[in-house]
Amino acid sequence: MPSLFRRKRLMAVLIGFIVLVALIGFSIRDRDTLTTPEKFFKDTVGWMQSIIHKPISLVDNSVDNIQNMFEVYEQNQVLKARLSEYKGVIKDNQRLKDDNTELRKTIGKTKSLSDYSPIQATVIARSSDRWFEQMTINRGEEHGVAKDMAVLTSEGMIGKIKSAGAFHSTVQLLSGFDRSNKISSWVVREDKNEAFGLIEGYDGESGRLLLKGIKLDEELKKGDTVISSGLGGVFPSDLRIGTVEEVVNDQFGLTKTAYVKPFADLFNVNHVIVVDRSMQTVDNEDQKEDGDS
Amino acid sequence: MKRYYIALISLLLLVMQGMAMSLLPSKLVYSNLLMTPHWVLLFLLIVAIFFDRDKTYFAVWYGMAFGLLLDIVYTGILGVYMVTYALVIYVIHGINKTIHSNFIGASLLVILGIILSDTLLYVIYSFVQITSMPWSTYLILRLLPTVAANMIFFIILYPVVKDRVTQWSEVVNNA
Repeated sequence: MPSLFRRKRLMAVLIGFIVLVALIGFSIRDRDTLTTPEKFFKDTVGWMQSIIHKPISLVDNSVDNIQNMFEVYEQNQVLKARLSEYKGVIKDNQRLKDDNTELRKTIGKTKSLSDYSPIQATVIARSSDRWFEQMTINRGEEHGVAKDMAVLTSEGMIGKIKSAGAFHSTVQLLSGFDRSNKISSWVVREDKNEAFGLIEGYDGESGRLLLKGIKLDEELKKGDTVISSGLGGVFPSDLRIGTVEEVVNDQFGLTKTAYVKPFADLFNVNHVIVVDRSMQTVDNEDQKEDGDS
Repeated sequence: MKRYYIALISLLLLVMQGMAMSLLPSKLVYSNLLMTPHWVLLFLLIVAIFFDRDKTYFAVWYGMAFGLLLDIVYTGILGVYMVTYALVIYVIHGINKTIHSNFIGASLLVILGIILSDTLLYVIYSFVQITSMPWSTYLILRLLPTVAANMIFFIILYPVVKDRVTQWSEVVNNA
């Protein structure tokens, strides 16, 4: 019966299409938590990855070590030269820190925006689809990771937590940032106050972040450091983001846009730190939802 | 029993697919060319060609299940890989009836499968605005490298699994 068979196929295609649209619609909106089956599968795959990751990373690390050995001499020369500089800086830093805590105590404000408790994690996998700049790390809700926390390497910020499973979570890298995940940041300049701006996306071609909304009369130099301001309500302040490379006026000529080169290498990432801000975080979304309903 | 082996191998490939992206040398994987491994699809296409008979559709069901798993684990947008993989494997399964099952025939079918699925993924993702790449850039920067990289993997995978899969097929279908 060809007609019946053909009708069956048509039905399958239609149902498939409906399921596709429904699932995309369900999952693409900004969800606070994952559903239980999603968490379950994520953790299951995560555990398998952790098990396989152990022996492979051992080999990987020893290859790295051998490669490093060849560069050790040159590095040593450079570092020796820097060492004396750092000694002075450390002393200064220590003194300033003590000063700061003392002053904070006197005004009765012990917590600051820059305080955070770190959660160490290892990267076990990356999204296989390059349009999703995401990776999986081996720490989850059980270890205190929650959605929207900042993720760092020793060099600088690399992204934020997109979703947290029970024992594994997904990190959205800076290269996958768009308008919906802004970072409020400061440009640190010599002899002047910080200039304020928002990181609003990533230029894939040149591999640089877009720092938008800088006031027209602010003078930025190439090489100025960009740090997070902590005013966005989620990230702590003073996380290193990148350096300014190029400044242009935006398309309407009302503000300036700076291209920021991230400090951290977004591709070769092995160990990360998830940052849990000590200061209470502002829950924008909940308030909005409450207001709507 | 043999069917569970297929599921196990697919699961292993799915796990390795994400690890490959973080463990392979970053200069190779993260050049401007967007290479996307479709290892699960490759294996399931081999299953569709050498395991499934004309009336059985195991590979399509596996494609659906592991496509959904890929969505959950690697992209977070459900349903896209699931529908794409199921549809592509079904189409290849249909074409397979008219082509001889040898290495050349299988590679042609697999190349067609990869092109179809990656293009379908591109179309769906551009509809939901995950990507806004123009067609010409997509063809050169993503489709060609993806096909090339996956064919290298296919040439490695084919001799390892082909005979085994054919053997399982006989065991299952004669039982």
